[in-house]
Amino acid sequence: MSATVGNVKFKPGDYKSTLNPVWCPGCGDFGVLNALYRAMSQLEIEPWNTVILSGIGCSSRLPGYVNTYGFNGVHGRALTLATGVKVARPELTVIAVGGDGDGLAIGGNHLIHTARRNLDVTYILMDNEIYGLTKGQVAPTTPTGDKTKSTFWGNPEPAVDPCELAISTGATWVGRGFSGDVKLTTQLIADAISHNGFSFLNVMSPCVTWRGDDQFKALKEILAYVPEDHDRSDRREAMKYTREKGVLTTGVLYEVKGPSFNDRLEEMKQQAMAGRSEPTTREILATFFPKF
Amino acid sequence: MPIQDLTFAIVGSGGDGVVVLGDFMAQAAAREGLHCMKVEAYGPQIRGGESSCTVRISAVPIFAQGDRVDVMIAFNWADFGRFKSEIVASANAVVLYEADDETPREEVEPHLGTSEGSRWIPVPFTRLAKESAGTALAKNIVTLGICSELFGLPREGLLQAVTKKFSTKKAGVLEANVRGFETGEVWAKEYSARVADKHLEFSRGEPMLLMSGNELSAVAALHAGCRFFAGYPITPSSEVLQFLSEWMPRVGGHLVQTEDELAAIGAVIGASFAGVKAMTATSGPGLALMTEMLGLAAMAEVPAVIIDVQRGGPSTGLPTKSEQADLWQALFGSHGDAPRVVLAPADVEDCFHTTVAAFNIAEETQLPVIVLSDQFIAQRKESLSMLTLDHEVIGRQVPTAGELADYKRYRDTKTGISAMTWPGMKGGEYQTNGLEHDEAGRPSSMHLVHEKMNAKRYRKLRQVRDKYSFFRTYGPENADLGIVCWGSAKGPVKEAVLRANGRGEKVSAFVPQMLYPFPNHDFRHYLRGVRDVIIFELSYSAQFYKYLRTFEELPDGHTFLFKRSGGKNLTVGEVEDKIQKVLEIGALRREVLV
Repeated sequence: MSATVGNVKFKPGDYKSTLNPVWCPGCGDFGVLNALYRAMSQLEIEPWNTVILSGIGCSSRLPGYVNTYGFNGVHGRALTLATGVKVARPELTVIAVGGDGDGLAIGGNHLIHTARRNLDVTYILMDNEIYGLTKGQVAPTTPTGDKTKSTFWGNPEPAVDPCELAISTGATWVGRGFSGDVKLTTQLIADAISHNGFSFLNVMSPCVTWRGDDQFKALKEILAYVPEDHDRSDRREAMKYTREKGVLTTGVLYEVKGPSFNDRLEEMKQQAMAGRSEPTTREILATFFPKF
Repeated sequence: MPIQDLTFAIVGSGGDGVVVLGDFMAQAAAREGLHCMKVEAYGPQIRGGESSCTVRISAVPIFAQGDRVDVMIAFNWADFGRFKSEIVASANAVVLYEADDETPREEVEPHLGTSEGSRWIPVPFTRLAKESAGTALAKNIVTLGICSELFGLPREGLLQAVTKKFSTKKAGVLEANVRGFETGEVWAKEYSARVADKHLEFSRGEPMLLMSGNELSAVAALHAGCRFFAGYPITPSSEVLQFLSEWMPRVGGHLVQTEDELAAIGAVIGASFAGVKAMTATSGPGLALMTEMLGLAAMAEVPAVIIDVQRGGPSTGLPTKSEQADLWQALFGSHGDAPRVVLAPADVEDCFHTTVAAFNIAEETQLPVIVLSDQFIAQRKESLSMLTLDHEVIGRQVPTAGELADYKRYRDTKTGISAMTWPGMKGGEYQTNGLEHDEAGRPSSMHLVHEKMNAKRYRKLRQVRDKYSFFRTYGPENADLGIVCWGSAKGPVKEAVLRANGRGEKVSAFVPQMLYPFPNHDFRHYLRGVRDVIIFELSYSAQFYKYLRTFEELPDGHTFLFKRSGGKNLTVGEVEDKIQKVLEIGALRREVLV
């Protein structure tokens, strides 16, 4: 089906589509997009063998800006579409992207179950701690007490740590990046895509419009890199780098190896087919004759 | 005088073996090439509780569940209470009931509907089972023996079914059950003469398949080349998911039981976008959850097949019973203008053809296609000839080299259909969108783009209407009375129409199997040939009748409606009553005119 061209290298710019981003000047998502172009270039990913899927939100516009196959779906359901693509066509590189509202509020259930299955896709969650596209309402990652357009008296809810959620529900690669650090984020995306299994990358991606310049500064102040001697295969150790007050730890927090959902399905298929050829409709129907 | 068509009803509690008994009867009948239809009904309990099973067995083709039972088998009259408005016996039925049950006949008879010609035979089911097989559990096997003797059910087939079931059990179990069967036969001999009018007469034919609509839909999907299924369990559609969980990997496909219906339809759209034919199956509440992404499939123009097995609603409603009230949801359930195709199987065999047709239409037009089945069709078992189960399959349409040069995913064409690439095709890369988009797939919120693309998407329906015009008619071309119905209402309607024709009454029926786009021209043509019309449906708010009126003037003063809630399947008797009433009105009217 695809004509694979040998030894063709792709420059980051080669992945740009002809659409111009609708994002506000200074939006953190530009950093993520640039990191994605670079990571894809590093991995020499073929655009025609790649699908990027998203839900709804500012960050969910991203698939339109990459010249791979892309699908900007409906709110909260990027991972459901990604499940269909990756299960039906395991040989494709599949990346889902979206924001904190899309992935943790309306789409939270899908995050839990996609992580649990260990579906071999990469999910990049661009986290600005606010609903940007709908103009400034509270999100699941908005800190408690923050005043937003929908929390006039301050946010009464505690925030969720997406990395903690992903680790606890079965993701086998979990990392955190910062859109202001494109080099780091590039490396994390490349690492995540290379991982076999569900890789979850939470990228802090400030919203200049609804969180102001302060968010960027505040994030920079609390950023730290995970220590070099961190045992990323240790779940308890990994959990230490989530939700720490006053510190936002970036880097690969957790990584374990094991069969992905696709590996398990493939194994099951081999068992079911057992070297036999595909049964015909007649053969399937014949199993419904009275069995005596 | 022997009979060619017999309906049995069996009622009992968990442990009485009602379902196994019905199953053995149906399987033995299918093995002999007899026509049969088996319908099960349960109380709300997950295990145990009351259950009933009706089995109609006939030497001639049948189209409906027999609404008047010829043989009633009651292990326990208390269990009959739950089904008393659903099981009605013919006036001269044979009633076999547990001899130890002391419920007086007067208490049961008014509900059962039998009268003086009936024969009430107390049967010591439990005692016979204990004495012959050593356990009361064998009472269903004793009953098989009795039925074989009294009603002429195929003895050899029934015994083989018993052998098959118990041969793997520990030593002595099989022998005990065969003794139970033979004890039933011997016990029944003295009654044979009294019930000779219920002795089935048939000649052996080729073995038939015994399948439910859900099973057939699942096989049809595989036949159509479906290689991805995602679903979430919901009664009464779960058999599709269950069957495919075994068979999808065998044909090299994939199946995912998702976390909810939202994920199921999402995964189906994802797989289809990726170039693989895909389907989900659900019931009304699940379709409600899928409705947002039904709009996505329409907007992004991704082929998708959704089977909705209707049950009683709204909300949790009557999960194990049939109704025809998801119609509007299937036809119109949407935000925005979302074209889709809606097909409706009218019997078990139809589940095969409509499901394959659904894939063909979806692939040709890149539309979501809903197959609107219902519990009655989906869960009853019918005998079928394998010969009728074939249907042309249309594959994924591959773009030509010409279409790939200067490729635009949503190119506006005469038919509205544009070439669709899929991942892996170099040069076919595109970004699709739930946002309104232009021909290249680029998001746009401009009014003129929206108007143009809506027109493009709706234009695809024309081809569907022109190419596929699924409907059936029964009865004479010109009739005094025409019946219009859809889905599982067809069975009893067809049977009533054929009976009326047999009496010389000019009655016909029109049954569309494609509900959207509706075969308007054929329907108009049909209406011209009938004087009076009755619409039959199981929807309290008359969704079908109102739907027909959105595009067709029904003859003023000549249109009658039979509608009621679901929960009980439409019966031939109900159809016949209404036919007689309307024929009488017609006759009165002609008297006045003369």
